[in-house]
Amino acid sequence: MALLIALALFVAQAINFGMILHDRSEFRLLQATRPVATRIADALDREAHGGRPLTADRGRVRRTPTNPIARSIMERHPEVAAELRRQFADLGLTVGRIDTGLRPAIDETSDAHRRDGLRRGDRQGPTLLIAIEQPGRGWLAITAPWPQPGWRLLLAALTQTAILYIIVLLPVLWIVRRISRPLQDLRRAAESFRPGDPGAPMPPHGPDDVVALIAAFNALRLRVTGMLDEKDRMLGAIGHDLRTPLAALRVRIESVEDDIDRAKMIDTVAEMNRTLDDILSLARLGRPSEPPTDVDLAALVDAVVEDFRDLGCEVSFVEADRLRMRLRPSLMRRAVRNLIENAVKYGVAAEVRVEERARSVAIVVADQGPGIPEDRMGDVFDAFTRLESSRNRETGGIGLGLALAQAIVREAGGEIRLVNRAGGGLDAIIELPR
Amino acid sequence: MLDTAPMGDMPHLLLVDDERSIREPLAAYLTKQGFRVTQAGDAESARTRLTAYAIDLVILDIMMPGEDGLSLCRHIAATSDVPVILLTARTEETDRIIGLEMGADDYVVKPFSPRELATRVKVILRRATAGGARQHAPEANAYAFAGWVLKSGERALVDREGVSVPLSTGEYNLLLALVTRPRQVLTRDQLLDLTQGREAAAFDRAIDNQVSRLRRKIEADAKTPELIKTVWGGGYTLAAEVTRL
Repeated sequence: MALLIALALFVAQAINFGMILHDRSEFRLLQATRPVATRIADALDREAHGGRPLTADRGRVRRTPTNPIARSIMERHPEVAAELRRQFADLGLTVGRIDTGLRPAIDETSDAHRRDGLRRGDRQGPTLLIAIEQPGRGWLAITAPWPQPGWRLLLAALTQTAILYIIVLLPVLWIVRRISRPLQDLRRAAESFRPGDPGAPMPPHGPDDVVALIAAFNALRLRVTGMLDEKDRMLGAIGHDLRTPLAALRVRIESVEDDIDRAKMIDTVAEMNRTLDDILSLARLGRPSEPPTDVDLAALVDAVVEDFRDLGCEVSFVEADRLRMRLRPSLMRRAVRNLIENAVKYGVAAEVRVEERARSVAIVVADQGPGIPEDRMGDVFDAFTRLESSRNRETGGIGLGLALAQAIVREAGGEIRLVNRAGGGLDAIIELPR
Repeated sequence: MLDTAPMGDMPHLLLVDDERSIREPLAAYLTKQGFRVTQAGDAESARTRLTAYAIDLVILDIMMPGEDGLSLCRHIAATSDVPVILLTARTEETDRIIGLEMGADDYVVKPFSPRELATRVKVILRRATAGGARQHAPEANAYAFAGWVLKSGERALVDREGVSVPLSTGEYNLLLALVTRPRQVLTRDQLLDLTQGREAAAFDRAIDNQVSRLRRKIEADAKTPELIKTVWGGGYTLAAEVTRL
């Protein structure tokens, strides 16, 4: 941000500087060429009308038989030659070649100064030596001031830029900082916002717009929390209102004489209750009440498997070493339980193992079932959908189990993958980051 | 049984629930199971019946309009020795713990099996008559023994490093039975009795199997157990000091 502004200022300054430089050189060109052209015209005029002839050692305009400009050492300024030629043409003078050579600034006391016959204090800056060929009569030599604007102008430009930076950039930086700091705080607050814990409202600071934004955010936060509270209350009420008739039904079932009928009814009620539990858990997952704790994941999975074995299910656990993880144990138990439940339901028997990987831990539930068609893999995670072929009450469940397990695992930062094994059967894998 | 047993010999239960749809069939079922059942639809009428009859056990719904079950439960625990079983619709662990701190002896979560409820009633009544003085709140939040902490809410053991080791329902029930009776010798029958009432159907494997699983988890060397010791010809005992937390 600040860098961009600095850059923009610098570019503007550079353009300014370039324009000034261009004006200066135009001006210098005219300043150097106009008097030269006039003087030469005057000198030639005087000579032609009986004046002293031009010589090589006296006067402003001198005549030399050869080009007085040392070809190689002096810096040439062809733009001066071109301008002069144009001016001579205006004056009606015909000249041959025009040569120019820059003579650097000369120290007044130096010998070279005196040798050139320049008057004391005449020219301190660099001068431009201009030679004009008169075809057949030799060369006319004259000097013109040629101030070098270069570094002084650059210094001026730099000073100007520095002043601009101080006057413009500092306030801009201050304003940007004043806006961006509360915005950063707001971003952090938004990122760390946990619906379950609204926390303290963010203190409003910064410019008016930002203060208004922060106030709006605080209000939004309260609304979200309020809505979630409302949802929880509603779910609690739904849970209670559905469990009560379910409990009544469950009590009455006990008076059913037929053993098989009774057992089936009991199963149905139990299943309805599990579904109700799943729905309530899934809906509440956004703000789990259970804090994460250090848990031995291997023991957790082992305990879930053991519960299934106690119920007579064909589930085995591959013994694993202690594996310390930080997670919400009850929720993770439920996720593992749901996967094993599916494995037992659709895949008859299940083998469960815990694998330690480089960056993750995997809980693999491998069943002996038919697997899932590859094109339906994604669908099974959708709540309330089940694969068409098994949508009957025989197999039970409404496909909520996997969705809930997925939600729990995602909340823990992991992912559930389903993989058909080459030899048949399905691997349901919970991958958790370490 | 109803006809043969005199009224006075039958345990007298007070069933408190505002839901008639639950209360009435449940009363009918419990009566068939050999209990004398008095019903109450709210806390107020429950209080009158508590003073009017010699009640042996109260079955109490937590969620009731007016004075709720927890408040009544606290009242009963403070004024009498009558054991209480809570009926709750909520499954949250905090509710369970709060219920037991209120002085309840046990709880069942709706929808519950009436059979399971009857079993628990019998277990508590037997415990009350056999042991004489009954213990209120048999469950604390946690029990510390030999460097381990058994948390009743989470059904997990926490080791010295603070890492919790989840237990299966069977393991938890068995360990809870042991830590609540440290240094007592518990026979397999007793253990089965103590663990069976809880979480129906989850427990029907041999006690020995659960013990060996528990030993693998908590003993330094499972082959020479120092904590859960086998008593020759008897059963098992927890050889450790237990602190209630």
